[in-house]
Amino acid sequence: MSSRESILKNLKAARSPFVDVPPVENRREVVLQDDLRPEALRAHFIKEAEKLSCQVTICASAADAIEQLLALLGDDRLLLSWDLPHIPLPGLAEALEHAGIKIAAPADAAVRVGLTGIDVALASTGSFILFSGPGKPRAVSLLPDLHVAVMTAGQIVPNLETWSATERANQIEDFRQTSSVLIVSGPSRTADIAMQLVLGAHGPAAVHILMLP
Amino acid sequence: MTNKANEFASASRSAIQTPEMVAAVAFATNSAAAKRNIAFEVNGTEHGEALRQQAAEARRRALRKLPELLEQAEARMQANGIEVLWAKDGEEASQHVLNIARQHNIKHIAKSKSMVSEEIGLNAVLETAGFDVLETDLGEYIIQLAGETPSHIVAPVIHKSKAEIRDLFMERLGMAYTDDAAEMTRFARRHLREGFLKADMGISGGNFIIAETGTLCLVTNEGNGRMVTSLPPVHVALVGIEKVIETLDDYATLIQLLARSATGQVMSVYANLINGPRRTAEDGGPERVVVILVDNGRSKIYNSTYAEALACIRCGSCLNACPVYEAIGGHAYGWVYSGPIGAVITPLLTGLENATPLPHASSLCGKCKVVCPVDIDLPRMLLDLRHDLVAAGHAPLLWRMGLRGWAMVSRSPLLFGLVGWAAKWGSKVLPKHRTIPVGPLGGWSKSRDLPEFAPETFHQLWAKREKGNDHEQP
Repeated sequence: MSSRESILKNLKAARSPFVDVPPVENRREVVLQDDLRPEALRAHFIKEAEKLSCQVTICASAADAIEQLLALLGDDRLLLSWDLPHIPLPGLAEALEHAGIKIAAPADAAVRVGLTGIDVALASTGSFILFSGPGKPRAVSLLPDLHVAVMTAGQIVPNLETWSATERANQIEDFRQTSSVLIVSGPSRTADIAMQLVLGAHGPAAVHILMLP
Repeated sequence: MTNKANEFASASRSAIQTPEMVAAVAFATNSAAAKRNIAFEVNGTEHGEALRQQAAEARRRALRKLPELLEQAEARMQANGIEVLWAKDGEEASQHVLNIARQHNIKHIAKSKSMVSEEIGLNAVLETAGFDVLETDLGEYIIQLAGETPSHIVAPVIHKSKAEIRDLFMERLGMAYTDDAAEMTRFARRHLREGFLKADMGISGGNFIIAETGTLCLVTNEGNGRMVTSLPPVHVALVGIEKVIETLDDYATLIQLLARSATGQVMSVYANLINGPRRTAEDGGPERVVVILVDNGRSKIYNSTYAEALACIRCGSCLNACPVYEAIGGHAYGWVYSGPIGAVITPLLTGLENATPLPHASSLCGKCKVVCPVDIDLPRMLLDLRHDLVAAGHAPLLWRMGLRGWAMVSRSPLLFGLVGWAAKWGSKVLPKHRTIPVGPLGGWSKSRDLPEFAPETFHQLWAKREKGNDHEQP
């Protein structure tokens, strides 16, 4: 008998535990939110993201966001980035070219700044979700010291539970087709040395969110 | 990993005699416990408790349907492109990993934290077979450098002071002197970055497997878990068979409670949901993902009155709450899992006879159950294990004799009265603070005042009261 069969056989032969545990009638969301208007969600997201040590800059327009990005790049002439169509900044390609900034291969660990869009943002915890896929390499949000994430306020949903419910209702197949779905909550961190919090353990030491209307 | 749980008494005695370690552990557990408590109180005590019960139900429902959910998880993971292997014990799990490594002609393996891999002693197997294995969680890396074992599920290096880690980095890696934890972390980051880029295989654990979607779930604060599962072309995950959960909704609850319980965070920095290898036209991500479902004693626990122990999500909050763990740290428990959950699952996974002191390594104060995000009744199981120990003849002779004597005395009114009388008068002749100079109670009374016996027994009081009542009755 294979190990698979013998393990399953043992489990099936056992008396099912916890048959008397009643189902939960009213499921709770982990973070209570009473105001779900878009402007309240935006404020909630910003507050929580800042608590996680993210920088959030509200940009009036794509041009404004591009200016912010160029300022963050400073003298760097190389950038890791998702393919530009996945970033909601029309005119970005021209602006980068004009500034003499080139996009490096995604595995180039020497580049300081990584630029991504986001797929969903969660107001309750200040997190954002990144779906991997063609043109959206995982390394861009992982290897650089600074991760710049561009989002629109319309991408904010109340919380992880709302996101999960939407995925289950509509697109669970899309979810399953995505090799890596990543919920990011602030810059990489560790407290392994004497419980002292240090940002930038293996991933980015800083996350800068550029938020478009 | 070798099990030294039966050396608990001597190991905890020497642990108490290392004040730096005790101070480091007490500081870390107290601050983690405080952060956990704040995180559960944010929306009020009632809400925090409701969430705990919701998470408890999710885990118990998954365990109730465990065989069916495992089959569903397997089928859906396979449909997503994940290979699934099964291992009945540690040896078979290690063999699977070795086979995969050999198929790909692997040289360098980067590992993120996996308690199952500690449990089955995977590193030693891989190193003996000639593979270069790098632990990449900062804490685990420090442990690996020092040639030690983790002493906490979540914070493996909780027992080491900053100065000890600095000295280790200076001696082993040639780091320049610094007292700054941030600088030490940056130094380790540079070292480990090279390891990530050179690795041709990544090994991780798994926090959950979602059955309905066929998803492997991993959390990491440092980001090493992402590196290990994204950069090398092969990713192997070792996951206990009990880790399966039913739905993405359950995940939403559990992942948030895991973070709150482990570190007081609202979410771990990276919560990764892995649905398979890189897709066509995707730039990056492993070409092959293998999940090894490891039993190693779990199906036996499943078929026992201890099945509840399998609900554990390895948050470490019972360790942080435990007065015994705080006093002695994790190593004294002798095996991979320490604290209250370790005291329960070490005997269950490695055999009661190999961990006889552990069920007693608790004052049964009950805090571990109160802070458990899935409400595991650890005190109940500790008591039941003590019962099993006695039934299996593992109770010390003196203790058995004492209990037998107690039973004899309690059954005879005459003896009971006599002993009570003797105790009352005997306690009057004891020295100051009523210490007992000799015998098995000597040690106990060294740090405690033996309570003074009441001048009258319950029987005498009762008789008096009844008499009094008679007078009052009309």
